Amino acid sequence: MDTMSNTELPVHIIELRGVTKTFPGDGGGFTALRGVDLRVPRGEFVAVVGRSGSGKSTLLNLVAGIDRPSAGEVLVAGTPVQALDESRLAAWRGRNVGVVFQFFQLLPTLSVLENVMLPMDFCGTLPPRRARARAMELLDQVGIADQARKLPSALSGGQQQRAAIARALANDPPLLVADEPTGNLDSDTAEAMLDLLASTTRSGRTVLMVTHERDVTRVAHRLVTLADGRIVQPPAQPMRREGGSHA
Amino acid sequence: MPSPRWTKLARDVWAERGRVLLMVAAVTVSLVGIGSVLGAYAVLGREIQRNYLGTRPASATLDIAGGIDAALVAEVRRHPLVGEAEARQVVLARTRVGDDWRRTLLFVIDDFADLRLNLFRPERGAWPPPEGTMLLERSAVPMLKAGPGRSVLVKTPHGEPQEVEVSGLVHDPGLAPAWQEQSGYAYVTRATLARLGEAPLLSELRIELAGRPLDPRTVETRAAEVARWLEGRGHPVHEIRVPPPGQHPHQRQMTTILLMMLVFAAMALLLSAILVANSLASMLARQVREIGVMKTIGARAGQIGRLYFALVGLLGVASVLLAIPVGVLGSRAFTGEISRMLNFTIGSSAIPGWVFGAQLVAGALVPLLVAAVPIRRASRTTVRQALDDHGVSADRLRARLASLPSPLRNPLRRPGRLALTVGLLSAGGAMFMTAIDVKGGWQANAAKVYETRSYDVEVLLQEPQPDALAQGLRRLAGVREVESWGYSPAAFSRLGQIDVVRTYPDRGHGSLVVMAPPPRTALVRFPLKAGRWLAPGDGDAVVLNHMALAQAPWLRVGDPVTLSLEGRPTTWRLAGVVEEIGSAGVAYVTDEAFARATGTQGRARMLRIAISATSPAARTLAIRAIDRALGEAGGRVEAVTPLAMLRTAVGDHVEVLIRSLAALAAILAIVGSLGLVSTMGVSVVERTRELGIMKTLGARPARIARMLVGEGAAIGLASWFLAFALSLPLTLLVDGVIGNLGFLAPLPLVISPSAAAGWLLIVAVVSSAATLLPARRAARLVIREALVRT
Repeated sequence: MDTMSNTELPVHIIELRGVTKTFPGDGGGFTALRGVDLRVPRGEFVAVVGRSGSGKSTLLNLVAGIDRPSAGEVLVAGTPVQALDESRLAAWRGRNVGVVFQFFQLLPTLSVLENVMLPMDFCGTLPPRRARARAMELLDQVGIADQARKLPSALSGGQQQRAAIARALANDPPLLVADEPTGNLDSDTAEAMLDLLASTTRSGRTVLMVTHERDVTRVAHRLVTLADGRIVQPPAQPMRREGGSHA
Repeated sequence: MPSPRWTKLARDVWAERGRVLLMVAAVTVSLVGIGSVLGAYAVLGREIQRNYLGTRPASATLDIAGGIDAALVAEVRRHPLVGEAEARQVVLARTRVGDDWRRTLLFVIDDFADLRLNLFRPERGAWPPPEGTMLLERSAVPMLKAGPGRSVLVKTPHGEPQEVEVSGLVHDPGLAPAWQEQSGYAYVTRATLARLGEAPLLSELRIELAGRPLDPRTVETRAAEVARWLEGRGHPVHEIRVPPPGQHPHQRQMTTILLMMLVFAAMALLLSAILVANSLASMLARQVREIGVMKTIGARAGQIGRLYFALVGLLGVASVLLAIPVGVLGSRAFTGEISRMLNFTIGSSAIPGWVFGAQLVAGALVPLLVAAVPIRRASRTTVRQALDDHGVSADRLRARLASLPSPLRNPLRRPGRLALTVGLLSAGGAMFMTAIDVKGGWQANAAKVYETRSYDVEVLLQEPQPDALAQGLRRLAGVREVESWGYSPAAFSRLGQIDVVRTYPDRGHGSLVVMAPPPRTALVRFPLKAGRWLAPGDGDAVVLNHMALAQAPWLRVGDPVTLSLEGRPTTWRLAGVVEEIGSAGVAYVTDEAFARATGTQGRARMLRIAISATSPAARTLAIRAIDRALGEAGGRVEAVTPLAMLRTAVGDHVEVLIRSLAALAAILAIVGSLGLVSTMGVSVVERTRELGIMKTLGARPARIARMLVGEGAAIGLASWFLAFALSLPLTLLVDGVIGNLGFLAPLPLVISPSAAAGWLLIVAVVSSAATLLPARRAARLVIREALVRT
C-alpha cells in the first residue's frame, strides 16, 4: 500500500486555515462555515458536535475532499485538498481518507466481502487474491467475518455499519471520517460502533466524526463544537487519554 | 477471480435485466434491419454481375430491313468497333390463355448452340427446341399458364393460330419478369417461326462493342458509326436501340429501394442508440448515489466511465450476435423478393464478411457514441452532487409548469428524457404513417390508370385498318364507344442521322410511340403539366406525355420536335405535356395530322373501346366478343390489352418496396414503443418515494395507477401529433423518390386517415402496456418500502 507511512505524515493530519464555505442560493447564498481554523494531530479521535445547520457535515465534507472551500485552505495529510482535480482527488481520497456514512452506503449488489474489496480494487492497492484476504481480515476485526458472503440487505444496521468501517479501512488510510455513523443505530449498537472507531486510532489513525451522540466524550479525545459555522469551543482540549498521540 | 467492480457491473445488469433486454432488443431489431438490407445489397450487387452482365447484354441492336444473313454477321464481327455480333428477330405474337389472348414476345434464335449475346440458359426440357415447339422463359409460365409438355395456341401477325408445344423452360436474366410486364416470353427457331406463318428473317443485329463501353454516349456514337458502315454496304438501318449500358431494366429501382431501406435502417439504429442512451441515463440516474460512494472510496471518473462503457459495449456485441443470424434470414428474404423482381437466379446467398463487420461496428460503436454523453456526465458528477441526489426533485419543476395538469407536468420534470421518448415514438409513428401514406399515394397513382382513361380495352392491329372495322365493333352488344387512333412506333430523331431509341430487347422499357386520337376524344383525359392538349385543326401540334419528355428533357413548349415514324422523319411543334401514369413514352398528335404524315387516311392501327358492362366478369366476356369479332372481320390483331392488365402491371412493379417500407416502419414502431416502456418504467422507479408520500397522504392505489397511465397517454398523444406533423414532409420526400422511380413523376400526396388512426391506436395500446405494469407495481408498493428509497 502506498499510503503515507506514519513517519512521512505531518504532525497535524488535518489543518484548516481560515476556511469559509458558502453555498450559492437566492439572496447571496448560505454560509455554512465562517473562517474556521482547526488542527488535528495524528492518532486523535475528534468528535464534531453542534446543532443541525451548524456546519458539522460541511466541515467533514471539506476534510474528505467531498466539497471544496469557498475561501481558505484545507490540508489533509499534508495535501492541499482544494488544489486537486476531481479525478486526482478521488484517487487521493481512496488511499488517504476512509469515509463512513450514516446510512452505511454499501453497494447493494455486492456481498459484504466484495464491498470491502472494492476500494482496493479501485485504487489498485492489492491484487484481488490479497485484497480478498485483507478484506476477510478487516471483517474479522470488526466482528462480522461470518457475514462476508451475504448481501448488505441481509445484515442488521449495526452489521452494515461494521462492514462500512471495514471498507473505510481497506486501503489503510491515515484518516477516517465518519458522518453520524451511529445516527441510524440503536444505543447498544451505537456504543459498540464508537468503541470500534476508537479502536482504529490505536495504530495512529486519526478519526474525525460528526455526531449527535451525548456519550461521545467516552471515546473522543476532544470535542469540536460548531455553532453558526464557527468553532465555539477551544480546539485543543483533551478528553480521553488512552491511545493516540495528540498535540 | 473477478474484480469487485466487474462483479458489480454483472450484478447490476442482472438486477436491471428487463431494461437491459429492452436495450438489447432495440439495438438488435435495428441491426437486423441494417444486416438485412446490407446483406441483400451485397448479394444482389454480386448477383447482378453474375446474372445480367453474365448474359453478355448487347451494347446495341441495329434494326436492318431485309434481313441479316450469316455472311453479314461474320462481316460485322470483323469490324474494329465490334466485339461480338449475332442476328436475331423478335416477333410480337399472341398466346391463347383460357378464353383470352395474351401478348407474347417470340425471340427467334438462329442457332441455339451458338448464342453469342443476350444469353439465356436452359432450365428444363429440350435444348434446342425441336422444330414446331418453343421454350418458355420461366417467369412466363404463370402468365401463359403453360409448361413443358403442354401445348398453347400461338398467333403471329401474319399466321393463323397454331398449337405449339412447350418443349422446355429457359431463364433469361436480361428480361424483366413476365408477370410484371404482363407479357409472355418464348424462344423459337427460324423454322418454327416459318411454320407459324412468318418469314424466317432475322432483322435485329445485336452487337457488343469492342471494349464493352459503359458510357451511353460512347455506345450511341460507336453504334451509329457501325450503322453508317452497314448502310454504306447497302444494308439500311432503320433504328438503333441502345439500352442503358450494363444495367438491368429494373436495376435503378433495386438500387434506389435498397439505398432508401438502408437510410431507414440507419435511422432505426440511431433511434435505438438514443433509446440505449436514454435507458442508460435512467439507470445511471438511479445509481448516482452508488457512483458517489464509489468515488468516495477512490474510484476515478475514468474507472466509472469504463464500467458503463463496457456495459454498453457488451449490449452492442450481444445485439450484434443476436442480429447477425436474423439479419441473414432477413437478407435472404429481401434478396429473394428483389431477385424475383429482377428475374435473377441467386447462385450464392453467401453474405460477404464486410456486412457482418459493418453490423459489428454499427452495433458496438453507435450506441457507445450516443451513450458517451450520459456516461461522461454521470462519471464526472462530483461526490457531493452524487450523494445529495434524491432522484427527481421538486426544484426541477419550473414554476411556470405548476399550472399544467398532472399528466403533462410530471413528464416535463425530465424534459431531456421526455424529448428523447417523444422523439423515438414520433419517428416510429412518422415512418409508420409514411409507409401507409406512400402506399396510398402509389395506389392513387395506379388508380389514375382508370381515372384518366375511360376505355376498357385497347386493340393494336398489325396494319392500319379501314374505319369499317371500328364501325362493326360499335354494333356489338355491350360496346359503348369505339375510337380509331393512329399508332406508330417512333423515335426522337435528328435530321440525317439514324434514329436511336433507348430501349431494351423487351421493347417496353424506354420505348416511344406516336398515338393519334380524335381531337375530341372522350376516352382519355390526362392532367396537363405544361401547355395545352390537342385541339381540332391542329396541324403540327404534338403533346408529349411525361415519360416521352423524359427521353428528350431539353424540349420546352413551343419547341420544334422531330419524330421518326417508321423511319420517316416528321417535324412537329410541342404544344403541351401531360402526365400519363402506366404508359411508356407517347407523343400525341391529331388523327388528321397523323394520317397526312403517314398516308393512312381513313385507316387506323389502334382501337380504344369502352364497354357498357360494369362487372369485371361481364367486361371480360365483352372483350372476348370483341376479340372474336376482330378475328372474324379479318383484322389482324397484334395485341388486345384490357385496361385491368395495365393496372396490374403498374401495381406489381414496386409492391416489394411498399412491403419493405412497412417492415421498416414496424421496426421503428417497435423501437419507439420500447422507448416509451423504458421511460415510464424509470419514471415510476424514480418517483417511488414520492408515490409513497402520496399514499401516506391518502392516495388510493387506483388513483396512483390512473395518474401514471394518464402520463403515459399524454406522452403517447404528444408523440402522435409530432409523428403526424413529421409524416407529411417525409411522405412528400418518399413520394418523390418512389414516384420518380416508378413513374418519372412524384406520387400524389395521400394522407391516410386509417394510418393516423392506426398509429393512434398503437400508441394508445403501447402507452397503456408501458405504464400499466409499473403503475400496478407502484400502486401496490408498501408505504414503508417506498419511503426508505432514496
